[in-house]
Amino acid sequence: MKEREVVIGHRLGLHARAAARLVQLSSQYKSTIILFRSDTTKTVEADARSILSILLLSAGFGSKLSVRAEGIDEDQAVETICQYLTG
Amino acid sequence: MKQERIIHGVVASVGTAIGKAVRTFDPLFVSFNFKLRPDQVRKEIERFRASVEKSREQLKRMQSELKRNSGPESSFLIDAHLLVLQDRLFVDRIIEKIESDYINAEWAIQQVSDDLFQAYDRLSDEYLRERRGDLDDIVRRLLHNLQSKPLPSFKKLPYEAILVGKLVPPSTLFGLRSKRIVGLATETGSPLSHTAIMARSLEIPAVVGAAELSEVSSGDLLIVDGERGVVIWAPSEETLAQYKNRDRDGKKLKKKSGAFASAPSVTEDSVQISLGANINFSEEVRSAVAHGCQFIGLYRTEFDFFRQGKQPDEESLVADYSLVLKSAKGAPLTFRTIDVGIDQKSWDGVNMNLGVRGLRFCLENKDLFKKQLRSVYRASVHGPTRLLLPFVSSVDDLDSAHAVIAEVQAELSARRQAYDPHVPIGVMIETPAAAQTCDLMASRVDFFCLGTNDLIQYYLVIDRSDQSVVHLYNPFHPAILRCLQQVYSLLRPTGKPVTVCGEMAADPPSAAVLLGLGFTSLSVSLPAYLRIKRLIRSVSMAQLKDLAAQILKMHKPKEVEEKVRATVYRK
Repeated sequence: MKEREVVIGHRLGLHARAAARLVQLSSQYKSTIILFRSDTTKTVEADARSILSILLLSAGFGSKLSVRAEGIDEDQAVETICQYLTG
Repeated sequence: MKQERIIHGVVASVGTAIGKAVRTFDPLFVSFNFKLRPDQVRKEIERFRASVEKSREQLKRMQSELKRNSGPESSFLIDAHLLVLQDRLFVDRIIEKIESDYINAEWAIQQVSDDLFQAYDRLSDEYLRERRGDLDDIVRRLLHNLQSKPLPSFKKLPYEAILVGKLVPPSTLFGLRSKRIVGLATETGSPLSHTAIMARSLEIPAVVGAAELSEVSSGDLLIVDGERGVVIWAPSEETLAQYKNRDRDGKKLKKKSGAFASAPSVTEDSVQISLGANINFSEEVRSAVAHGCQFIGLYRTEFDFFRQGKQPDEESLVADYSLVLKSAKGAPLTFRTIDVGIDQKSWDGVNMNLGVRGLRFCLENKDLFKKQLRSVYRASVHGPTRLLLPFVSSVDDLDSAHAVIAEVQAELSARRQAYDPHVPIGVMIETPAAAQTCDLMASRVDFFCLGTNDLIQYYLVIDRSDQSVVHLYNPFHPAILRCLQQVYSLLRPTGKPVTVCGEMAADPPSAAVLLGLGFTSLSVSLPAYLRIKRLIRSVSMAQLKDLAAQILKMHKPKEVEEKVRATVYRK
């Protein structure tokens, strides 16, 4: 299992276009990839392959997320996704 | 436990039905929410998957067109839609719902998307909150594509259903026809809508214009009472038992209706009673003939007249009336000329009880009146026709009507158009004035009809559309009994026939009173026809005459009613 924290660098946050791209990226990996909202009072979790759950994270510009991957390609997955999220 | 609630609407198709609500999801889409049988689940999932697949293909096509025409900029919107279609939060949950709750795809889509919409509405980010529009778009596409796959058959529905919706299109009602659909109730619409017409021709009880139905959900127990024009939501055990009894009784009668149709309406002591049918719509004539009705005592023409929302032209009216007379197969048919007034407040919402209604309306709208009269006369060559004038309150009214009729006949003769010049002309006794002076009118008419509904409301000063006084409406009030007795004795020496065509004739206890008072011709709505025939065949006239003499001495409506019920139901 691999986990890393990132700050959203997209100006509009994880809106429709960014979320769509994120799903497409996540789908290239075999690992399960989960995003956590760690800066809210209640921990909100999203499947990186579900556009609806990503949108419901409501992660705006500057919000903090944890990216957690588990599987054979977990290292690359976390690397690529964090890179994308920081913008 | 939910409280029983009565939702008021307008009768669109007569009869009563008990069943569970099967709701339309969205007025734009012809889709219903209902339960499946376990063996239908697999097929329903396939049906859902097919609609997902079809939606995907449409979006892909749209995307490549967008790319060609406007570059890749806007095609990401389509990407988002495509991703929703493969989102486990959406697709997998819908499939799980279908599997675990045994519900159809439309209902599962509605439940899952409702949850998501609520989640969206809780978001603080306005931009993201707006994304619910995308989901809404997808939901509509899926529902639309589900339509190309036929709905699972209602034949396998595990319960009897009442279709509920804002509006149910007539093609849907026809397309879904199944014995499992026992009733129809809509929030909007009127008895003149095509859906109402379809319900009547399928003989499905229907109530329309019941706005409060919007709170009813699929699976709720409902009773559609197409005699009172109400829907009973979450009926109490007591109410349910009452309706079930009536339903069972109705079904039993219907089973015997073949034999019953040809049985004469004669009392135990061999007094012949004429029993006819009241109809509101031309489609009901066929059914009346099948019931073995001897005559159509009352055809309320205003519904068909205003069916299209505008006035029909003379030629189409002639065609309609000719068809009605032909389908009556020789049974005399009474056309009551247009009566706009009580119970038809949908015209403009004004209480017209004491205003310009019935014949008053016709005399003020002479062109319309003449058009209808010409049409009735021209159609009269196709079968025995009778003409009935509503809401007459003086001999002057009657003379004015006769003058118009004479003009119409002269016009038709001048046009060399064929008509029956001897069409009997009758008067509706429904105002206190007509009840008091019917003998003075007798020499000017061929027959009378007694309209008890209006007579009672004018005698007892009760507006039937006013909830606060409606409980006072009582056919057993001594004032009504005396009025009826008076009408009978005023008309008897004139030798002019009279038929009772109000609700009093349709309810066995009050019908027994009418028979006892001497009225031997009744005309009732079709759902009441068989039960009144059974009543006639089970009573003796001697006994009812005796009953009438006794109740005429009583002081209170309640005493009268109890005495009558005891006599009628003791058997």
